[in-house]
Amino acid sequence: MEPAEAKLIRAGKKIRDALDDGNAAEELRAERNRLVETITMRNGRASRWRGLSLFPGWRGIFVGGGAAVAVGVAVLLWLQIPISFRIAGGALPGAGGVPGRTGDVVEADARASTALQFSEGSSIVLDKGSRLRVLSTESNGARVLIESGRADVAIAHRGTRKARWRFEAGPVAIAVTGTKFRVDWNPKDLTFGLELSEGSVIVSGDCLPGPRTVTGGGSLRLSCLPSGVARTVAAATPTAGEDEMEAEAIEGPARAAAPARRETKLAHVDGETWQALVAAGHYGDGLRAAERVGFARVCRTAAAVELLALADAARLSGRTARAVEALTVLRQRFPGSLHASTAAFALGRVAYERRGDYNEAARWFATYLDEQPSGPLMGDAVGRLMEARHRAGERAAARRDAERYLQRFPEGPYAGTARAIMFE
Amino acid sequence: MVTPLTFARGDENLIDALRSGHPGAAAAFYDQHAAAIRRTLQSVLGADAEIPDLLQEVFIRAIDRIGELQHLEQVRSWLTTIAVFTARAHIRRLARRKWLFLFSPDQTRQNHRDPTSSDALLALRETYRILDKIPANERMTFVLRFVEGMTLPEAAQACGVSLATFKRRLSRAEKRFLREVRERPLLEQWLEEGTRWSLQKQS
Repeated sequence: MEPAEAKLIRAGKKIRDALDDGNAAEELRAERNRLVETITMRNGRASRWRGLSLFPGWRGIFVGGGAAVAVGVAVLLWLQIPISFRIAGGALPGAGGVPGRTGDVVEADARASTALQFSEGSSIVLDKGSRLRVLSTESNGARVLIESGRADVAIAHRGTRKARWRFEAGPVAIAVTGTKFRVDWNPKDLTFGLELSEGSVIVSGDCLPGPRTVTGGGSLRLSCLPSGVARTVAAATPTAGEDEMEAEAIEGPARAAAPARRETKLAHVDGETWQALVAAGHYGDGLRAAERVGFARVCRTAAAVELLALADAARLSGRTARAVEALTVLRQRFPGSLHASTAAFALGRVAYERRGDYNEAARWFATYLDEQPSGPLMGDAVGRLMEARHRAGERAAARRDAERYLQRFPEGPYAGTARAIMFE
Repeated sequence: MVTPLTFARGDENLIDALRSGHPGAAAAFYDQHAAAIRRTLQSVLGADAEIPDLLQEVFIRAIDRIGELQHLEQVRSWLTTIAVFTARAHIRRLARRKWLFLFSPDQTRQNHRDPTSSDALLALRETYRILDKIPANERMTFVLRFVEGMTLPEAAQACGVSLATFKRRLSRAEKRFLREVRERPLLEQWLEEGTRWSLQKQS
């Protein structure tokens, strides 16, 4: 006679199987939204209370001193309260919009722009289909990440008090003190654009040799791709008026483009021109030139952006081992840099596309996300991580990634794959 | 459209982020554990219409009490314990409503979702009618052990009792369940073999 426990285990499994209904995914999504709303409202109430509190943790109790001291302290603390903002336009209800929260992705509808109005008078108008995040706020400014698309920014002057704003778009940062400008960022081809109406800003980043000031009427366009590769993909040779590296940042309306400057910017290795060959799209020749000099020596001495270009050249030439070598050295020599994280992403691509090692690929994409949770390749990394985990047989993890991806990028390039994974 | 910040880091960073009130952490925490917790609630309660509300309750409690989490690797079992206690409180509320029904039938409502004509769902309804007769603490032991498939130590931890106490309660629940099932031969047959079963034949 079969033991009772064995019968019950079998019965329990049947009960479990019968309980699985088809509503789980939809119900979980609905409840997720409800939970986020509940937590948001609670956090909003708590932060308003903290903002009003004179002494943190004391819940607004006045102690000691006279009325004048209390008023002085109140003014001082009021000046320290971070600015707030509201989001209006598109599908958001009400003329006044909704309160914004730091960290949330704000995405403008495909048909209409969305406006962010800050409590101290500054504003950002997000172009149709564009995305940004307000990463943090302070009493005299905020830090904003342009994830993709275009935004028109007007930073209010605050009298004697200096405004302090910082805008980030991929690897480019704009320090703003009081100005109007338009910024755009394309995370797919890593191009950055800035047009300044008034005031001045300082632009810096990994794809600039140093910080650059742009003043009223000036503009700046950058490609932050590794040197040469983008040009080869987009066109066979550079043409007049185009410059894949950098347009001169100037004062006034004129623009200077200097393709020849690209050669002088490239690092030299004993006079060899492997960089120029790679930049011109001659990957095999460029790789051989680097090997003639000594591939290991090149890896030890080249700049980070050059190592990325070399790794791309090796990958596109089918020389996977050289690509891995260049990327690995890059991560060792430039730890913590954006290029090192880009190398992690590239290592993931090599593992996925060239070696079919999906576990390894997943590890590298996860590394990128760990190092650059807001990085320019974040969307791609989440999508590729999902695919790699799915291929590696980690179905549960892939489903979680898929749900995360769709929450974040419902119309993104991996959305179709994500839906297929979630409902298989 | 405004979307909460995606949180792409590991559990350790997520717990820290929850403690500091990171805007996207609650969503990420939910994404990681909601499906499993929903399943646990279902195992304990069956097809209960209040499971969505109970799921909310579990996560809000967990987020409120995240500071109590001692060991990172226990986050799932800690959440499961919260779910078990939430489900138990719900069962006791339902039991009190049944008393209310005796005096004011109009004030209570059916809690279970209406079954379809599927044999499996009819069998499920009968199974949970049996479980409704078993005291809440014993019912917990039974469903965690046999429906959720937990090991004895895991299930005892989720119930917040010693292994010895858990085994005693489980033994009582097993005997009760088997006795009830033996009085329903068709349900017994379905549980054992998965053959067609019908309420009409049973009555």
